[in-house]
Amino acid sequence: MASRRQFIVQSVGAFAGLLAVDSIFSRAARAASGVYTAGSAAGRCLVVVNLQGGNDGLNTIIPYADPNYYRARPSIGVAQSEIVKLDAELGMNPQLADLKELFDAQRLAILQGVHYPNPILSHFRSTEIWQTAAPDKYVTDGWAGRYLDDAQLPANDLFKGVAIGPVLPKMMVADKTDVPAIADLRSFGFRGTRDEQRQADKILNGAADVYPFDSPYLSLVQGVERDAHAASLQLPHLVAGYKPMVDYPKTPFGQGLNLISAIVNAGLGTKVFYISLGSFDTHVNQRQRQDMLLSQFAGGLKAFYADLAAHKTDDRVVTMTFSEFGRRVEENANRGTDHGTAAPMFIVGGGVKGGVYGDHPSLTDLDFGNLKWHTDFRSVYATLLERWLGVASTPVLGGGFPTLSFVS
Amino acid sequence: MSADQSTVSQYRPSGSLDPASALSPYVGPWTPKLAAHLLRRAGFGGSSAEIDSAAAAGMHATVIRLLNFGPDLLPQSPDADLTYGPGTPPEQVRAANIAIQLWFLNRCLQTTNPLQERMVYFWSNHFTSAVGAGATPAMLVAQYDLFRRFALGKFGELTHQVSRDPAMLFYLNGAQNNKRHPNENYARELMELFTLGVGNYTEDDVRESARAFTGWTVNRMTGEAVFVPRLHDEGTKTFLGQSGNFNGDDVIDIILRQPATAQFVAHKFLRAFVYDDPEPELVSAVADQFRSSGYDVRVLVNTLLRSNVFYSQRAYRALVKSPLEIAIGTLKIVGAPEVSLAVDGAIGTMGQVTMRPPNVAGWPGGAQWLNQSTLLARLNFVTRLLASNRPARPLSAGMGATPAAGTAPAMNMTAATSWLGDVSMTDPGAVAERVLWITVEDDVTESQRSQVVSYLQTDGVGNLVALNGENIDEKIRGAMSLAMALPSYQLA
Repeated sequence: MASRRQFIVQSVGAFAGLLAVDSIFSRAARAASGVYTAGSAAGRCLVVVNLQGGNDGLNTIIPYADPNYYRARPSIGVAQSEIVKLDAELGMNPQLADLKELFDAQRLAILQGVHYPNPILSHFRSTEIWQTAAPDKYVTDGWAGRYLDDAQLPANDLFKGVAIGPVLPKMMVADKTDVPAIADLRSFGFRGTRDEQRQADKILNGAADVYPFDSPYLSLVQGVERDAHAASLQLPHLVAGYKPMVDYPKTPFGQGLNLISAIVNAGLGTKVFYISLGSFDTHVNQRQRQDMLLSQFAGGLKAFYADLAAHKTDDRVVTMTFSEFGRRVEENANRGTDHGTAAPMFIVGGGVKGGVYGDHPSLTDLDFGNLKWHTDFRSVYATLLERWLGVASTPVLGGGFPTLSFVS
Repeated sequence: MSADQSTVSQYRPSGSLDPASALSPYVGPWTPKLAAHLLRRAGFGGSSAEIDSAAAAGMHATVIRLLNFGPDLLPQSPDADLTYGPGTPPEQVRAANIAIQLWFLNRCLQTTNPLQERMVYFWSNHFTSAVGAGATPAMLVAQYDLFRRFALGKFGELTHQVSRDPAMLFYLNGAQNNKRHPNENYARELMELFTLGVGNYTEDDVRESARAFTGWTVNRMTGEAVFVPRLHDEGTKTFLGQSGNFNGDDVIDIILRQPATAQFVAHKFLRAFVYDDPEPELVSAVADQFRSSGYDVRVLVNTLLRSNVFYSQRAYRALVKSPLEIAIGTLKIVGAPEVSLAVDGAIGTMGQVTMRPPNVAGWPGGAQWLNQSTLLARLNFVTRLLASNRPARPLSAGMGATPAAGTAPAMNMTAATSWLGDVSMTDPGAVAERVLWITVEDDVTESQRSQVVSYLQTDGVGNLVALNGENIDEKIRGAMSLAMALPSYQLA
């Protein structure tokens, strides 16, 4: 679709005859005929997992050899015997055991000590910073949205980006690209009765004629409504040929990954997916909640990559996690932890050079009780944009950031 | 990079505005459409009876009634347990948050002073705060009460009050701002987003004014703002070219003397009430008036709501309704007596969490409300609302993934036929006309009109049917939800 700017500039009548339904069929046909070449960015996509609420990095990737860890975490520290050890100093929370196989196969990278300058401890603002990649200003679009706008993808593609969930995350907000948010296939779309559906279809796709007023937003609303309606009508048909090759966990996260796999394997050309899991905001009784969520995370990812491998598409899909912040080093009085700063990120997939990147931040040299970061998250984004998706990162991130070596 | 900046002054030719007459009182014909326009902007939309009454009363009488608030008979605070603090169980935290949201939404729906509540909504998106970081639901209630008292008051006085408001002191870290560890957050946002705008102050001004605001904090036991002299920096500060042992009030007084403040606030009012790309000449004309009135908001709003520019074609349906406006406006049209939990959840799915702006800059509005997800959410909200008291389709199915799923009481709406007034319910053309009037004031294309008529005349597979006692209720509800799915309905 045209850009928001253009939409606003164009007159109402310019939309006459625009048939979103046609464009989606032609795009699907194009995707089905496309051939993926290993090593080229063309067939690749990125799945972004938001560990929402502030995941405690210190109980995720654990510096078990450091006595300061157990000193700071007398009641919620993970016992050495339980830890899934990665090397002589670091290990994973036992609930992440499902990821060990991916780690051993060099398909899981763990990036330590990632955050941004002048950390903000508010969930909302810090989430927004990670999603806009703009720590020092308020912007209305997201970093993935800017990528999708600039990536020279087919113009009529309705599924350049897909967000799993009922609300579009800020990360996917774009100027020219309209990303659908899909909670699940059943509820995606206009849910009227059958004759309301039929009539809504006619109204939204009907011949354009003249409104008795002019408004700068009229054509934008009309275009987006039409895209939304077309996308929701067509998606179930487009993914109908996909069959999962594994049993996905019956969690919302597992089911969401299943839908992502369906879209990847249907060859719709989607470049960025978003899915979230949470809430990791563990101020009280952290172990119980975080363990449950980490187990859902690892179980979901294991099934997802097994399914992709069975479809021979695992080499096309890299998954990246983020969380708005890690948590305070010292546990609090409620067997929980309060908002913190730096935390590890996971990068998973066929194109990933596995291993641990960067040192674990010091547990004693702290910033008001919080870990000091050493890697700016925008370097991680830059790496994925440049080395995985094959585009220049500077226009997307509003500046140059050094790339890292975790993409092979 | 950001979409909202890109729309400025591009889509309509400049030069057509005559700043001299733009703000003069409108003397053209007073139509029901303009009455509906006024009620959408100065409130949350009108029911069909309210539009009729405003149309009959005339423009000046309607503006006078809007500006002069009658007694406030609604609850001053939620009738609910607002307990909230570090040790509060998550269910109570959620309950307290929902209680204040429903309290405010119900005030918007039920108020007999719509402009007052509209101004609370405006101020809450100007002097933004939210629960969290120490700010409690009870503090937000008190802050909204402040906005209500100063709804059409003096902007300067309100700015002084906001600077010692407990929710604000927590939200922008004023409570942590002290002589030894100055926190610049409030000082910066006060200038950038509340008064002067970027480019009208320096980083030095931020640092110096942060020192002036030191000493204000919140007593966590009482939840009240207190000034602690030993935390206040008594040194000399240099701020916007003046030096002295300033406190926060001095800083605000200096800010209010800057012409940039009037410009910035005038621009914001024009964006909220008239159109979101106001011409610089128009902004200046409003700013001059605003400043010479001593920042009297009543004078400003009175001028805007009677002005030529407000009733111009350029302003008509030139704003995008926010989810809150969609929800409250829709409930008014269908005659729902109160806002349910399900509606509060639906506002969230449409992209706006009540009383919780995404950041201190507030909801940007405009094109930012419009994406596939939020538009589908709008369509599904109106459809579910209208279907919710059909006997065969209870609301117990929930509103999708909203927290309210399954728990909402059925919405106690009036019978669908009561929306028709005295229109014959067997005449599809007349029913369509009435439905399109009470929803979009007939702002439709001919093809949209004929689609609604066609819906009323046919069944689910396209066979012709007559409207009768059996199908009329469902057909009216369906036609209403189609009308509310139209692009026009999304625009204020």
